Amino acid sequence: MRSASMVLTALLMVSAQNGITQDRRAPAELPPDISGVYQAIANRDTLPGGLRNTGSPSDIVLLPAAEQQRKNVDLSADPEKMCQNIGPFRMMARDRTKIEIVPARSTIVMLFEDISHGNMRQIFMMRGHPEKLTPTWLGDSVGKWMGDTLVVDTIGFNDQTWLNDAGAQHSDALHLVERIRPILGGRFLEYRVTAEDSKSLAKPYTYKRYYERLETDIMEDICEQ
Amino acid sequence: MMHARTVGTLTGILFAWTPAFGQTPPDWTGAYRLAVGQALEGFEPLNLDLHPVIVAHLQPWAKTKMEATDGVADDTGQICQPHGLFRNSQTATFLWLASPDKIVIAFGGNIATSGVQRIYFNRQHPRNLLPTWNGHSVGHWEGDTLVVDTIGFNDKSWLQVAMEPHTEEAHMIQRIRQVGDGRLLEIQYAVEDRKALTSAYTYTRYYRKIGESLPENVCSQGLQEWREWRGKALQRLIERSRIVR
Repeated sequence: MRSASMVLTALLMVSAQNGITQDRRAPAELPPDISGVYQAIANRDTLPGGLRNTGSPSDIVLLPAAEQQRKNVDLSADPEKMCQNIGPFRMMARDRTKIEIVPARSTIVMLFEDISHGNMRQIFMMRGHPEKLTPTWLGDSVGKWMGDTLVVDTIGFNDQTWLNDAGAQHSDALHLVERIRPILGGRFLEYRVTAEDSKSLAKPYTYKRYYERLETDIMEDICEQ
Repeated sequence: MMHARTVGTLTGILFAWTPAFGQTPPDWTGAYRLAVGQALEGFEPLNLDLHPVIVAHLQPWAKTKMEATDGVADDTGQICQPHGLFRNSQTATFLWLASPDKIVIAFGGNIATSGVQRIYFNRQHPRNLLPTWNGHSVGHWEGDTLVVDTIGFNDKSWLQVAMEPHTEEAHMIQRIRQVGDGRLLEIQYAVEDRKALTSAYTYTRYYRKIGESLPENVCSQGLQEWREWRGKALQRLIERSRIVR
């Protein structure tokens, strides 16, 4: 019995030490543990309570100039076809997208199984956006917990990714706010994202996806052409 | 010849879990960069010039294949294509993440082409592994050293940048520990492949912690560059098919 207790104690110490920062707050005050592997449910699926995916990047409304630009886009230059990053707004909406969430000390890391198109997102939990940002494909993401919801604010995008499969462009003014929270006893994540871009979107657009928690491993999925 | 896989499997069974009671495995979470020059603090990487070491271990057919490769058209690391774990071991940066059941190493050179190495604890390799670029890794602690055993590679990647070939029999063992009062990670690599190598070769690299995150490094070749490379690669395939006939 004593041996079993020692094993349990040692296991708990291992868990605490293996990259998960020990937090001395009472359990009720701690943010939920959303670490793990998740996969987007299909748009045809309905969860208990009638919860379904809503919206799609294809439904965004562009400003006239951006719409004209979209019509002239060479669809063969889609970053997706060149194994390039397609940006979080488009990536998180895709059917069956699989992600792994790994909390680290000062960040929450989101790794995509389709690593070539999704890459790795680092959400900084202990700082705001830097004053001077070099535009990047994934932007600069900062997060904070509001109750059981992780709110992620991302700016600093370059203009290399598209907003949807139809070639909708965005500008460096793109701003994403994502709200991620566990639901149904932690078996699912509710993911809601709002995109605004004063230079390309006629109005902010929000879509919602549900991600199911999986007890499987992330597989290697590197884009090959 | 070293039967590293057998040794690795046995040690995996015996020491699948952590160090002795009362100890906890070290937490190496953070971003690391390959240490060079003064950053090495006097530590000397074994076989820093790795290419001649690998060539000396290649079987004749593998050496012939290496000599027949084209530096651009055959380089899987070109134009957003995967590198494979062997070349990732020379990657300048990586992010080390830990969770209770595994360690995740996200390679920073370009994660789209380098991918991720996931090191699982408390399990063995599955029997029927689908060959992949980065293989399947299991780890266990031996004192303060993390021992990682990786098999299940595909044969599409190269051992290093000169396109030294390997087969699906390739097997890598990494022994990872902190040195220099915790300022450096030392990784000893041992690579064997009974079908491509005459015997195992080893090398050591040191990595310095540089922070908690990595800068973004996205594969972003332009469309024209992409098409030119595809053209070269296709031409290369056609030439090879003529040789085979």
